[in-house]
Amino acid sequence: MSTTFLPCGDYHQNYKQEHAWWQTKFIEAKMILLLIVLFVIIPLVADSYVLSILNLVGYTILGALGVQLLIGFCGQITLGHAAFIAVGAYTSTLLILEFPWPKFMIDWGVAYPISVLVAGIAAGIWSVFFGLPSARVKGFYLILTTMAAQFITVDFIITQYVSQIGGRGQAFSLPPGTIKIGPWVIDSDLKVYFMMLILLIVCVIGVVNLLRSRVGRAWIAIRDNDISAEVMGINVVKYKLLAFYVSGFIGGIAGAFWISNLAAISPEHFPWFWSLWLVGVILIGGIGSIHGTIFGAIFMVVVMELLQLAVMPFADIYPKLLMDFLFIKEAAFGLAICLFLMFEPNGLAYRWWQIKNYFNLWPFSY
Amino acid sequence: MKSKILVFLMSLALITGIFSIYACGEKPEKKEKAKVVAEVINVGSLNDMTGATSDVGKDYALGIAEAIHYVNDNGGINGKKIKLYQFDYGYRVPEALTKYKLFKRLKCVAVLGWGTGDTEALSPTVTKDKMPYVSASYSGHLTDPKKTPYNLFFATDYSTNARAAITAWFDKRWPKHPDYGKRKPRFLCSYMFASPYCSAPIKAIKDQAQLLGFDIGPDQDVSLFAIDTKSQILGMKNFEPDLVWHGNTTMSVAATVRDAYSLGLGADHIVNNWGFDENLIKLAGKASEGVMGAAVCAFFGEDVPMMDKVVEYAKKYNPGIPLEKRLIRTTQAWGDVLILWEALKRADKTGDLSGESILKNGFETMENFDIGLGAALINFTPTDHRVAGIVPIYEIKDGKFQILEKIDIKSRWSKKWANEWLGW
Repeated sequence: MSTTFLPCGDYHQNYKQEHAWWQTKFIEAKMILLLIVLFVIIPLVADSYVLSILNLVGYTILGALGVQLLIGFCGQITLGHAAFIAVGAYTSTLLILEFPWPKFMIDWGVAYPISVLVAGIAAGIWSVFFGLPSARVKGFYLILTTMAAQFITVDFIITQYVSQIGGRGQAFSLPPGTIKIGPWVIDSDLKVYFMMLILLIVCVIGVVNLLRSRVGRAWIAIRDNDISAEVMGINVVKYKLLAFYVSGFIGGIAGAFWISNLAAISPEHFPWFWSLWLVGVILIGGIGSIHGTIFGAIFMVVVMELLQLAVMPFADIYPKLLMDFLFIKEAAFGLAICLFLMFEPNGLAYRWWQIKNYFNLWPFSY
Repeated sequence: MKSKILVFLMSLALITGIFSIYACGEKPEKKEKAKVVAEVINVGSLNDMTGATSDVGKDYALGIAEAIHYVNDNGGINGKKIKLYQFDYGYRVPEALTKYKLFKRLKCVAVLGWGTGDTEALSPTVTKDKMPYVSASYSGHLTDPKKTPYNLFFATDYSTNARAAITAWFDKRWPKHPDYGKRKPRFLCSYMFASPYCSAPIKAIKDQAQLLGFDIGPDQDVSLFAIDTKSQILGMKNFEPDLVWHGNTTMSVAATVRDAYSLGLGADHIVNNWGFDENLIKLAGKASEGVMGAAVCAFFGEDVPMMDKVVEYAKKYNPGIPLEKRLIRTTQAWGDVLILWEALKRADKTGDLSGESILKNGFETMENFDIGLGAALINFTPTDHRVAGIVPIYEIKDGKFQILEKIDIKSRWSKKWANEWLGW
């Protein structure tokens, strides 16, 4: 059943209407307004700092989207997602720097877009390897097998072998001008921002559509009860691995996107903590909700940054406040998860739903 | 009710934050006015108080704040005070990127940076922005002005330090070895492969080892967080090294040296400067005896010019921290602040405090500039940002640091120094 409130007298007559993205003119107007804000107003008013924060939000959403798909929709708990992001980042970087592209492809700026796609596929396949144990184990045991992805991928393969490619032995340098899409060289926060928006919209639409399909319903069935799902005829192993593939694919896209924001990458950019952080994002945003992922990422990045800016005026009185802020931020991260689990277990997405309902039903919201 | 209070508090914080965005945003005409009235120069500082390198980063951060107080107490930048924006970024690259953008927004004229990973990741950006970036990373990759003109530091770089340390061992220790003249000395490196800081001088030190005729064994991967390194020591034992170079920070170097001692590795140790401080003696105890390393300046409290000020300001601004717990990291922080101070003063005298002026009229006019602190005389030229070629090598004897030898890499291999070794 649709969760959209329709004006009195409007009702769905077929499934197409029931599953439509924008079901009323009002929603359509809201969405167009949102797109105008994202594509026109923000680029006009935001400076480099604000854009860099938004790019970090986008990176966090792209990373967390895969985690949400696995945990929130398929019930497969993962703590190794940073590894798949790393695979994407390194695949894209290596393709750009080492692959013998014909000159016209570099001139036309197609090398990077192709590398993004290949990065997604490589990370997806790599993710499936670490999803294989999910055929046998679940819960805490699956957490441990996914954690292995971090140690095997980042600490072992990337650090010991991939980083040595080309005799580097350390960070891969991405000189300015390396990342090019068509005629545009991605060399400013604004260009990275537009790329992030487009990738994000494509990925979100892709995931939402998948969730509305047979595949998505199978994932949700597995999440709710895998034995029942199997009894109903769902090939549990196949769909679990498919979830790992799609999750890894999006992680790979996130990694490939992130290199456009950096001038050099090293294994240090993909610590295990990042996997934990992404799980925190979906816990705060709301498990099993796509817009929860977005709210979670905004909360974790923007709110923390705003809190930091909020303490800055007091730094003249107590200078250590700025320096100690990361302590506060780390503590706030832990505290936020505890508070959300206690008072808002369904995350920000549920609060958003309540607020929306309040206004939809206003003035008769009782 | 509880959730209402939560929502209220959160909203309050957000509103204050949004107001702050506006308040510290770019308002050209207001900023111009502020420049004239307040005469304050903003400087940003990125530090690691909680991340992988916090074992050395905390003391460095304290040193930065104390040194800036000293600068302001002594006339500032020709009368203008420095306002320091100091942030802990937890050794996380995304955090460093956003903080750098915040410094730009706050109109900082220069940044005091920290780690190699983020400094190298930011390097093209600071070049594009013409932002002088004085880092605690002494990576040799940052010394070539053709590639990284705005990356600077007061110390000899990691590669030069590593070359000097291995040369000092070859000169002083190897001739006393029973196998001297019978075989080649054996050498290997122990460091965290994943860390750009640790791996920055690997190419240089192996090049130097080859130059001196060492047999080079397989590298050992030791995490910056390592507290047990027995498996790596057992791995080293297969090669039977005479000398091990340690590229990590103090905590994991101490663990490695201790395990090497307890498992009877029998090799000598040379350590990169961020693993060689007062805590190494405390953490590794007897095992630290004989360990050699390159210190880029004097240890905290040593009898050298300017050290009295370093100690005085440590006492004054951080009285809660006993002086015996302060480290060489404080001195290093002072070193970076003092060269930035001088560069800003020189640039300000020309009436232009832009990044380009700070570089050209400030840093690159320094010739044999003495900051004291037992550091090398500072030289920056438009073609070479290596401050010096002479590296003092210390050894630990009876639980104390003693100077072993000063290695003049620049004169000894003058052609290679001039033509080959710049920028790696």
